Parts: sequence; structure tokens; C-alpha cells
Amino acid sequence: MKLADIRVGAVLPELTIDITAKLIVGGAIASRDFQNVHHDKAAAQALGSPDIFMNILTTNGLVGRYVTDWAGPDARLGAVNIRLGAPNFPGDRMTFSGCVDSVDAESGTVVVALAGRNQLGDHVTGTVTLHF
Amino acid sequence: MAEDFSVYLGGEFGPFLAWDEVNAPMIRHWCEAMGDTNPIYTDPAAARAAGYNDIVAPPTMLMAWTMNGYAGKRPPGSAEGNALAVLSAMSEAGYPAVVAVNCEQEYERYLQVGDRVTYRATCESISEEKATALGTGFFVTELSTFYNQRNEVVGRQRFRVLQYRPAAQ
Repeated sequence: MKLADIRVGAVLPELTIDITAKLIVGGAIASRDFQNVHHDKAAAQALGSPDIFMNILTTNGLVGRYVTDWAGPDARLGAVNIRLGAPNFPGDRMTFSGCVDSVDAESGTVVVALAGRNQLGDHVTGTVTLHF
Repeated sequence: MAEDFSVYLGGEFGPFLAWDEVNAPMIRHWCEAMGDTNPIYTDPAAARAAGYNDIVAPPTMLMAWTMNGYAGKRPPGSAEGNALAVLSAMSEAGYPAVVAVNCEQEYERYLQVGDRVTYRATCESISEEKATALGTGFFVTELSTFYNQRNEVVGRQRFRVLQYRPAAQ
């Protein structure tokens, strides 16, 4: 993707991710997050959660991936601002959608607004700033 | 009248170090788990074509480099202390539950293989007591500033939690 090709309001392709225990545990370990609620179902249930759930660093990683999948290797991530909502539990699916919120051609800055929804509602909403 | 927690505002904690320098195996492992196929993270030629000297780390890995890890221990040389000590004080004062609300990361420069990350943290803000759908409590924001081995700022993270007394069911 080149800056000149990006228009305000352009819609990013959706991306659906299966939320598996493997993804939740794999993401937690890749981010070196060994809190038990991200790998131990009994421990998560003892704290009132129905199952293990995705950690924030994995959510951040998936958000970054969603936007650069679209923007390509020439885009540099400038900021990822997310608001956290419904947890991602195993067996769910999360679908990312997004659109271009602003383009500043002079500074080469693009802001994408996005949401990642699962069957409980918004897991994550926020904006990602890209520099070209 | 709610307790005054403003004594916990500010302060500078750190530096907190990383167990490992930025390295290709941890980057590849992350990209595998996230399903991230951006070639600048794994292919030196693609990284050079995009203007970097070598492969770079996904910027969203920022916090991962300085996590304590399996043993839950800070790397040697790290400072003691914790910018969010206010959360334990709130818990003891009758606000035992916590939920993460926001995470805002900004990236000044991409980390390259061989970089050594450290960070310093401060308690940037504590809200007034607020009534929310979950219960009554306080929004607390920790600001962490990340540096490389040249003491250049790599990025910042604002992590906001709600520490609260759950509403009656």
C-alpha cells in the first residue's frame, strides 16, 4: 500500500481469527506473560472467569498485524491505542474491521479506526497510527 | 468521603531491564503466534528494502522484551519498586477488583536485533472516585517510557486500569 493510494473512509478487508486455547497460550508465552489466567483454566475459573482468556499483549500484536497486513511493509507503526472490552475465550471467533479515519499527506500519517468483535461484543476498539 | 490516594501519584521507578536483547528467535516465535507475515520481521532483505539495517521487531512487542517471564523475576540490575503500588493500597481500602481499560502505545523507533530495552515507569494519573457499570472505583494510569542501549526513547505505553469495589449483584 502506498500513501497516495489511501483515502479517508477506505475500508480495510475484514480478518476473522479463531480464538483457540492454542492461540491464547501461544500468544501469552510469545509475550512472556505467564499469569495463570492465560494458560490454566481451573485457575481462571477460581477467579470467576469461565475459561482462560487472551492477554493484552496478544491483542496488541493482533491489532498491529491486522493493520500492517493491509498497509504492507513500507508502513511504520506510530501508535496503537486500544480500549479493552469483552474477553476472548477459547471457542470464540474475533472479526476485525477497520477504516481509514484520516490521512495527512504532508507528514505521511494515516490513522485507522478499528474494532475486533467476538460473540460477546467488542473485544477491542481503537486507532492505529501509521507513517509512510 | 473516599480516601486520598494522591500520595501515590508521580514518582519514577526503574530502570527495569530485559532478560534478553532483541533477537530473531523471539521475534519469529511472536510472528508465528500472531500469524503476522510482515517480512520486515523475519527477512533481512525485505527489512533492508523497507529502509532498515536488519530485521526489526514488531513494535507491539515493546512490553514483551521487559517482561519478568516464567520465574517472575526481574532481570539482574533492575530497580526495585512498582509505579502501581497504589493498586494494592486501593485493594486494602475496599476496592479489591481490577480490570484493564486502555493500552496506548506510541513508537518512536523500531527495535532492531541486538538492541537492549529498558524502561522507567511513573503513576501518571489517578482519577476521582467514579461510579461505573462494574462498580465504584478509580482509573489509574501508568506511563512507561522505553529506552534502547543508547538511552534513546524507543516508545511509550500508557496502561489504564479501573480498580474498583464490585457493584452489588
